[in-house]
Amino acid sequence: MRLAALAVAALLLAGCGESARRDGPVTVVFKHARMFGDDPVPRLVAAFEARHPGIRVKTEALGSASDEQHQFFVINLEGSLGPGRGPGFDVMMLDVIWVPEFARAGWLLDLTTSLAPGELDGHFPAAAAAARWSGRVWALPWNWNVGLLYYRADLLERHGLAPPATDVELTRAVRLIQGRERDPRLEGFLWQGKQYEGLTVNALESLWASGTDLLGPDGRVLPDPARAEEALYRLYDLIQRGISPDWVSAADEELSRRAFGDGRAIFLRNWPYAMDLFEGPGSPVRGRVGIAPLPRLRGDVAAPGATGGSLLGVSRASRHPEAAVALARFLASEEAQRVLAGGSVLPTLMALYHDPALLAKRPHMPVLHALSLVARPRPITPAYLMLSTSLQPELSAAVVGVKSPARAVADARRALEYALSGIR
Amino acid sequence: MRRRPLIVDLAVLACLVLYAVPFLWQLVTSFKPESELLHVPPLLPSRLTLAHYGVVFTRSAMPRALGNSLGVGALTTLLACALGVPAAYALATLRVPAAGALMLGIVASTAFPQIATVSPLYLVMRALGLRDTWAALVLADASFALPFVIWLMTRFMREVPRELSEAAALDGAGRWRTLAAIHLPLTAPGLASVALLAFLFAWNEFLFAFTFTATEASRTVPVALALFPGVFEVPWGDIAAASILASVPPVLIVIGLQRWLVRGLLAGALNE
Amino acid sequence: MTARERGERRAALGFVAPAVLTLAALTAGPALWVFWLSLRQRLPVFGIDRFTGLAHYAFLATDPRFWSATRVTVVFTVASVALELLLGLGIALALRGQRVGRRSALALLLLAWALPGVVTARLFEWLYHPAAGLVNVVLGLGLNWLGDPCLALPALVLADVWRTMPFVALFCYARLLTIPPALYEAAAVDGAERLATFRFVTLPLLAPVLLVTLLFRTLDALRAFDLMYVLTGGGPAGMTETLTVYAYRSLFQTLRLGFGSAIGVVVFTLVMLVAAAYVMVLHRQEAAA
Repeated sequence: MRLAALAVAALLLAGCGESARRDGPVTVVFKHARMFGDDPVPRLVAAFEARHPGIRVKTEALGSASDEQHQFFVINLEGSLGPGRGPGFDVMMLDVIWVPEFARAGWLLDLTTSLAPGELDGHFPAAAAAARWSGRVWALPWNWNVGLLYYRADLLERHGLAPPATDVELTRAVRLIQGRERDPRLEGFLWQGKQYEGLTVNALESLWASGTDLLGPDGRVLPDPARAEEALYRLYDLIQRGISPDWVSAADEELSRRAFGDGRAIFLRNWPYAMDLFEGPGSPVRGRVGIAPLPRLRGDVAAPGATGGSLLGVSRASRHPEAAVALARFLASEEAQRVLAGGSVLPTLMALYHDPALLAKRPHMPVLHALSLVARPRPITPAYLMLSTSLQPELSAAVVGVKSPARAVADARRALEYALSGIR
Repeated sequence: MRRRPLIVDLAVLACLVLYAVPFLWQLVTSFKPESELLHVPPLLPSRLTLAHYGVVFTRSAMPRALGNSLGVGALTTLLACALGVPAAYALATLRVPAAGALMLGIVASTAFPQIATVSPLYLVMRALGLRDTWAALVLADASFALPFVIWLMTRFMREVPRELSEAAALDGAGRWRTLAAIHLPLTAPGLASVALLAFLFAWNEFLFAFTFTATEASRTVPVALALFPGVFEVPWGDIAAASILASVPPVLIVIGLQRWLVRGLLAGALNE
Repeated sequence: MTARERGERRAALGFVAPAVLTLAALTAGPALWVFWLSLRQRLPVFGIDRFTGLAHYAFLATDPRFWSATRVTVVFTVASVALELLLGLGIALALRGQRVGRRSALALLLLAWALPGVVTARLFEWLYHPAAGLVNVVLGLGLNWLGDPCLALPALVLADVWRTMPFVALFCYARLLTIPPALYEAAAVDGAERLATFRFVTLPLLAPVLLVTLLFRTLDALRAFDLMYVLTGGGPAGMTETLTVYAYRSLFQTLRLGFGSAIGVVVFTLVMLVAAAYVMVLHRQEAAA
């Protein structure tokens, strides 16, 4: 079945290549963020070009932060269908939270009819859902992320502890281990508190853990202020009690990953990419790291991790839509995702999570698969970025303690309601 | 005043070297091997490496950005001078209707904050299809370079003795001839200073360039430096090398063309 | 009006028109347009473009983030300009008697001013690095300069002072060189102390320059953008978010063109108030000269 799909895809791709060659070689610009470690994108692009002699692919790197990339796309895509040279790129790597916004704005090519029937079926349902907006498909799932808890398995074992399921257990473990290890450089629980999209993710996970959400079913912002305050207080309190060092309020993924990877923390909330670095050669924590679900705030409320990752979209202003779609489909194909999964990227295709060849290199993939299935997406709305960027300063202020959680929630509700009032 | 001892002079120089340390430190960093970057002290590297420059030149947008910045800076300067010098000549020597109001408007527009004009200009560039072109940046940068050129050149031209232009007029020279034969040569040093500053401003400009550029086709040096890609980690050494490259024209100007720079600067805000 | 005068006016218009029309299109036009934009709800992503009157301003009036940005802008401006003036004056006085290496001295000084703001941001980002930054290493501290809500704004001000102080120093220095030595000799004959000479000779002569520089620098600090945008991005917890950064984020993070323009208009108004003072002072000094 899979082979058949591949064959069909290959045929389709070959067809594209033919038509492109008739018109002379075309150049497709692929705008993407650089991958961690040994970047597989150049290899994939070369493989694609070898199969499509009529298409040349130019890759251009985006800035490193998601917010930065988003701003770049927004500035350059808006009005790109009008006169002029178009946005200057054809295929783009999209953060999972952008698809509805970009689709709503009319910047993305509708891929619905370009896909084979069931082409999205093998992906995580949440990844396929992120590719859709108002019933159409606008992007192809490419790689996957899920928020999770890393713990130092060796430390927990030495002190007879199980991975913590709740904040209470986590606190107890931190206190106990810090007390016994007597290492002043050993921090407790690291997460991302810097004012950027990562903070929104951490705050959302906290909101979910306290049984509420950013958007209510009726579209109201922070529908349960009391629980929202509780969620923000939780983050603030982690720092106040010394469970988390105060520098987490300025930490992004990489800062926190490095500290944990150097053996300077017991717990870390991060994405799966970190595991491969912890297990890499020369890593001080190699073989000592475990993966667990995020701790619960209350015993009876689930604490799902947030889903993340990226998709591939095609600009509607692309001069070479066929070639661009062919590239996107190739990069999202099982063949390409397998290459990506050989590095530190997680695929969106579920079958790869139990693939023996990959498991040999990345034995933790089944655990990640299980965590992914209970994970939760950030709000799926074209206004997501507007919400998140208006929210970030308030979250940051609450985490740092410049504002009380109550003030931050009240201010956030006002700012977000005003932002949303513009589109209602 | 009494001559002060040499030692004081040297001490002042030493202080100024210390003042330049932020830059010098980046210079040192740009030649440091990757493995020594985050291990300070020692302050100085065990050996010098060109690896960071290699990365910047072969694997970043910097080479293209340097070309773009040079081109945009030169064209901005050219445009501002081509339009600004005749205007300054007229404002300085001829009876221009509503000259006072015009001058006020020109001086005021040098003070316009870019953050206020960027949204309309963004819509204009979008409507004209100029995004991601040199033209967009040259026009946007002209919005501060042109009033600056007019303002300063008007001052310089006012200092040209009236008798000279009157003599030229008696010889039957037209106004363009007078401008070319009398005023331009006499204000050439001033023009050089003004052009130098206009270029420097365009080279350093960030807000417009950040907003109106999309790809390597038009991205200037400050934008390339601000967006210098790291993955999750920050490539400090490469960034240092890129910063040093971005600083080359300003450094050359400060060292080699200092006299013109200072003259232009002083004329810009001082009224002597 | 004689025919000759009329001819001159016509010719003058020919000289001035291209520049003035270009300027009108690039500065005056956008300056008016931004006011109009600020009265609109304009969200291209959602295809929305409608008149909303003063709604953005009404929201801003009660928006804590706006007032925080205003406070940061004012603190940044006042602190930065004050430090620049003090330091710049000091350097100028130190340079006045310089005989050796004057050119090198000026080069070292002006270097900081001539660099792109983005480069300055990158220099200081590296200097403030919590682990390997020169600042912490030299001071033997472990401070997180840009991550600490109390330290970030001072750290930003310091970077700005570094970049702009040379400008002030240069002006003061240039003015000092024009003070006739005879004045100092006279003061010395009168037996004036060093401090008294400074107080009664130097400072009064320097005052007009200081005033002009003060206004010019204030105006520049109010509209500063690249340094804070690249160095701190407004964080942590919005403690370094100036009005320009808030405006830019509103404008281009999610293309809230109307709302962002309203903040831009506020910056515009503030800057123009200072500019008006600047022009008036220049005018008065010109009249006095």
